[in-house]
Amino acid sequence: MVKEIERAGIPVVHACSIVPISLTVGSNRILPTIAIPHPFGDPEMGLAEEKGLRRALVEKGLKALATGIEGQTVFS
Amino acid sequence: MEGKTLILEPGALRAFLMGRDERIKTLEISLARPGESVRMICVKDVIAPWWKMGDFQSGAGRLQVLRNCAVVTCGRIVGFQEGIIDMSGPGALYSPFAGTINIVLEVEVVAGLSPHAHEEVLREAGLAAATFAGQPLRDVEADEILTWPSEADSSMFSHLPRVAYLYPLLSQGLLHDTYVLGENANAGLPRLISPAQLLDGAIISGNCVSACDKNTTYHHQHNPILHELCREHGQSLNFVGTVITHEPTRLAAKEAAAAGASELIRSLAPDGVIISKEGFGNPDTDQMMLIRTLEQAGIKTVALTDEYAGPDGCSQSLADVTAEADAMISVGNANERIVLPPMQRIYGPVKDLNKLAGACPQGLRQDGSLEIELQGIMGATNQLGFQPLRCREV
Repeated sequence: MVKEIERAGIPVVHACSIVPISLTVGSNRILPTIAIPHPFGDPEMGLAEEKGLRRALVEKGLKALATGIEGQTVFS
Repeated sequence: MEGKTLILEPGALRAFLMGRDERIKTLEISLARPGESVRMICVKDVIAPWWKMGDFQSGAGRLQVLRNCAVVTCGRIVGFQEGIIDMSGPGALYSPFAGTINIVLEVEVVAGLSPHAHEEVLREAGLAAATFAGQPLRDVEADEILTWPSEADSSMFSHLPRVAYLYPLLSQGLLHDTYVLGENANAGLPRLISPAQLLDGAIISGNCVSACDKNTTYHHQHNPILHELCREHGQSLNFVGTVITHEPTRLAAKEAAAAGASELIRSLAPDGVIISKEGFGNPDTDQMMLIRTLEQAGIKTVALTDEYAGPDGCSQSLADVTAEADAMISVGNANERIVLPPMQRIYGPVKDLNKLAGACPQGLRQDGSLEIELQGIMGATNQLGFQPLRCREV
């Protein structure tokens, strides 16, 4: 899906917990996330802390979307 | 037992199982024999009925094995991804359990149970039924006795290539659970473990994953890689040990598991290691990390994997790869489609058929035939190599 959307000329950020898979399948803007069952959250955190984490991830993703890249880039 | 034939009284088995767990609401017990027009659906686990003689610890003593019989548990899908076993027709060719005489348990639980409790009821019912069916073996003389090598043997064969086995278990929580010596394998792995313990029933499956590459309890009980390594030990190779490891859900945990498992493998000083797998997708990453780490440490690897290469076999077949993975054994393409003809008897919750991984909403046709990917057939692309599927050079 990442590749097809990019082929249509729209930049994509691939938010992915297992970065090596994202690299192998050919995503260009990769945002590492938390874990497979909960990419944008962490049940081990308190609610306020988790909300901060979620916001930080989304903001990082938006920034990645607006960043020019030369090749595959992991925004860690 | 009558001679070497097990006579099972369904009423007694039923009373035994219902009596030990109040959470079972209804229980149907049936027999499914090779060649019969029978389809079992939403199969959770398959278990070989065994009996451990005497009061020996795990990995010691004698285990009495009933060779051609299995307990099959069927129930509602609470997570996803259970499977089909056909006892005849084209689907039977893809499942090793079409060749066993199966004691089929259809279990319905009382209302209000959590998914985990539902799975626990079915898992324990299957294990209890296997113990019940295995108990008469205590009075039977075995036709054949196999002896597994002890680890002390390995120093005797210093002239032979040293081979280790790395055995990953799916243990991610969320109904993806495996149990080692009674403990959930989400903690305490990787670790070394003797082949005698593994072949003594150390590992129990509690996994809701795709049927084709789920390692059922039966697969763990009969792991063909362990059997082959034990058979060849002292003949063509020196089997120096086994490490079991896990396939966690966080990248950092995967890296830590790969590092830990590789360190344990290196402690065995092998020339080469065989790596199996359970599941697909993110476990591809675990396998590739293990291959890369070990190859970079100078240890040759051979890994078994199945493929998800699309119905025509033309798509990328693994979610992750590494350049060091230069000796891979494919056990089949799970996306390949098959049409299973209607069967006279269906065991299991037929309403859940379309929820099987590998099935699609239009898959069930009016005449009762079913189009499905091999993914939905129990053991079709098993990554321990326990299946009848072969490839042939033409």
